[in-house]
Amino acid sequence: MIVFKSFLRVLNKNKAPVILFTVMLVIFGVINFTSNDSTDVFTSSRPDVLIVNKDVNEGITKTFIDYISKRAEIIKLSDNESIDDALFYRNVNYVIYIPLGFRDDIINGNKPSLEVKSTGDYQASLAQMMVNKFLRVVNVYSGDFNDEWQLINYVNSTFSNETNVEITSKLDVDSLSRMATYFNFMNYTMLAGLVFVISIVMTSFKNVNISKRTTMGSMSYRRVNMYLLLSNLVFALVFWLVCMILSFVLLGDILFSLHGVMYIVNSFIFTIVSLTIALLIGNLISNKNAVNGIVNLIALGSSFLCGAFVPVEFMPKSVVNLSRVFPSYYYINSNELIKSMEVVNFESLLPVFKNIIFMLAFVVLFVILINVVSWKKRRFA
Amino acid sequence: MKKVIEVSNLTKEYKSVRAVNDISFDVYEGEIVGLLGPNGSGKSTTINSILSLLSFSKGSIKIFGEEMSPNLYEVKRNIGVVFQDVAVFDELSVLENIDYFCGLYIKDKSVRKEYVEDAINLVGLLDFKKFYPKQLSGGLLRRLNIACGIAHKPKLIFLDEPTVAVDPQSRNNILDGILKLRSEGATIIYTTHYMEEVEILCDRIIIMDKGSIIASGTSDELKELANIEEKVSVHISELSDEVIEKIKSLKNVEEVNYNGDVLVVIYKKGEDNLVKLMDFLSKNKIRYDKIFSERPTLNDVFLELTGKELRD
Ligand SMILES: Nc1ncnc2c1ncn2[C@@H]1O[C@H](COP(=O)(O)OP(=O)(O)O)[C@@H](O)[C@H]1O
Ligand SMILES: [Mg+2]
Repeated sequence: MIVFKSFLRVLNKNKAPVILFTVMLVIFGVINFTSNDSTDVFTSSRPDVLIVNKDVNEGITKTFIDYISKRAEIIKLSDNESIDDALFYRNVNYVIYIPLGFRDDIINGNKPSLEVKSTGDYQASLAQMMVNKFLRVVNVYSGDFNDEWQLINYVNSTFSNETNVEITSKLDVDSLSRMATYFNFMNYTMLAGLVFVISIVMTSFKNVNISKRTTMGSMSYRRVNMYLLLSNLVFALVFWLVCMILSFVLLGDILFSLHGVMYIVNSFIFTIVSLTIALLIGNLISNKNAVNGIVNLIALGSSFLCGAFVPVEFMPKSVVNLSRVFPSYYYINSNELIKSMEVVNFESLLPVFKNIIFMLAFVVLFVILINVVSWKKRRFA
Repeated sequence: MKKVIEVSNLTKEYKSVRAVNDISFDVYEGEIVGLLGPNGSGKSTTINSILSLLSFSKGSIKIFGEEMSPNLYEVKRNIGVVFQDVAVFDELSVLENIDYFCGLYIKDKSVRKEYVEDAINLVGLLDFKKFYPKQLSGGLLRRLNIACGIAHKPKLIFLDEPTVAVDPQSRNNILDGILKLRSEGATIIYTTHYMEEVEILCDRIIIMDKGSIIASGTSDELKELANIEEKVSVHISELSDEVIEKIKSLKNVEEVNYNGDVLVVIYKKGEDNLVKLMDFLSKNKIRYDKIFSERPTLNDVFLELTGKELRD
């Protein structure tokens, strides 16, 4: 108990950053909430899509292009406008590159591949959903048709039943995107708030001289560490809960949906990752100023690189590849996946589960490192 | 008397340095034993090895009759340590710091409260209970450091240079506190490089140099080793070589040093050396300001044994 009590006392002395980052999250959430609300309903329901077709313009490929054209504004670039510029100025929300062999892949029952670029806003998500839906329907019929003509018929009849039905209502896409923005920003809050505070508190407890004294106590060193870990866990959960309560306050009951639950689960896993990062830093570094610098670097760096602030679509490929070394990449990637998920089921969640496994792998890695570091520090020479 | 600590053939090597070289000694119940030696002589290393905070290359350590190891929590319950480096939480107040470290030994809250009060009183920090370490002067901080180490009323206390860089008032407070702890029944190991402190405080002194014990015993026993009976210092502003030679040939005189200001005459043995020297000076009409006689100090002992001064 004395460990927990002292942990709280030390924590209390470091409460400023916790409050600061919670307030930041609120402000960010409020701004995000109010600005998105003013978006025009009509223009937003039809995203601006640019199609770059390297394949033939016939057969199932043509069906695909027609399908998109019916549901989105097809944009042509003016003469010297580049695609990246168009994305940047939001003249286009979503770019679809149809590769050569797209049609053949579908006919042969292979998984067709598409490359896309997106602005990451909710119109883009809408386009993403359309594409996903088409591919899913094609996938359902694949292997179940005799010739391409039959497949096209199947597909068309499937979609004609719902031509008048909005794919997803404006509110849903809008809310999904708003939730994603909130949870993406939480990447920064977690790292800069939670990780910072826990690392700082841990440097106090892990200070060499204090550790020496702790080792001399009649409570086993392992027990003390156990209590410390539990204290940190409790704090992390409380911090996470506060973020969740805030999200309910800001986003409302849209969180009571499968999408919402997935965002929450994902953020919970990331909280555990953050906790282990914090413990590692706290064990490794004894200088509080250094902790400050390192945590800022990690929080800001990974938030930028992994797309917590700016969608990864705007980043060079090399940066995106680099960002995979951060756990944040998998957390944010999952948020983006959930955002553009039309239905939540086992299949659509597979990539999210994959990201969770990656994050848990980071947890295991960090736990091993923490043990190595603290084992090395246990004896003092 | 009961042996509280038994150190046999302890040797500790850091990568390239042999910090402690085959030392053996015992500490008996109720004693204050001083480990005296210049900086780097291996005092802290000895203490940390005894406490199993360091692994050592050779030797054995018994505390309360048991072979010491990092997991002897029952033994640790009865040990208090005040490390050379101050180890307190910046974020906790004086009271909270003592409470935390005491809490690593004492679970019962009401007992702990009483113990923490006692510790605060012992080191005289009553007026600073609510202060944070950053607000304390060096001396007060050292006192807090001590309180954190001894609040759980251990039977055996290690103090590693608790008075380094401390103002005289705090130093007196600390020394008084240590005597009080002993009067309450604690056995104390005290390391320092201040010889005055061990003379005031310790029943027995172990002198270390370069990782080895070079002498041990009571203050009086050690002074025998200095091979000096008496040291007379005289402030004289002028003295001819001729006179110095004459003094050298006086009875019992072992050594004469004159630095142009102070004349130091060292006697190996004999009585009334001071009176005889004063007689000699007045007969020769030599005027002097001050004259005083000293018993040899531990510094003289150290000088005799190692050829260098204890003071740095
Ligand atoms: N962690 C360490 N690594 C290497 N050498 C050390 C270490 N700690 C102390 N030493 C060396 O061991 C010797 C004894 O040091 P120490 O026990 O601290 O002496 P004291 O406490 O008497 O001042 C010194 O030469 C010191 O430089
Ligand atoms: Mg030392």
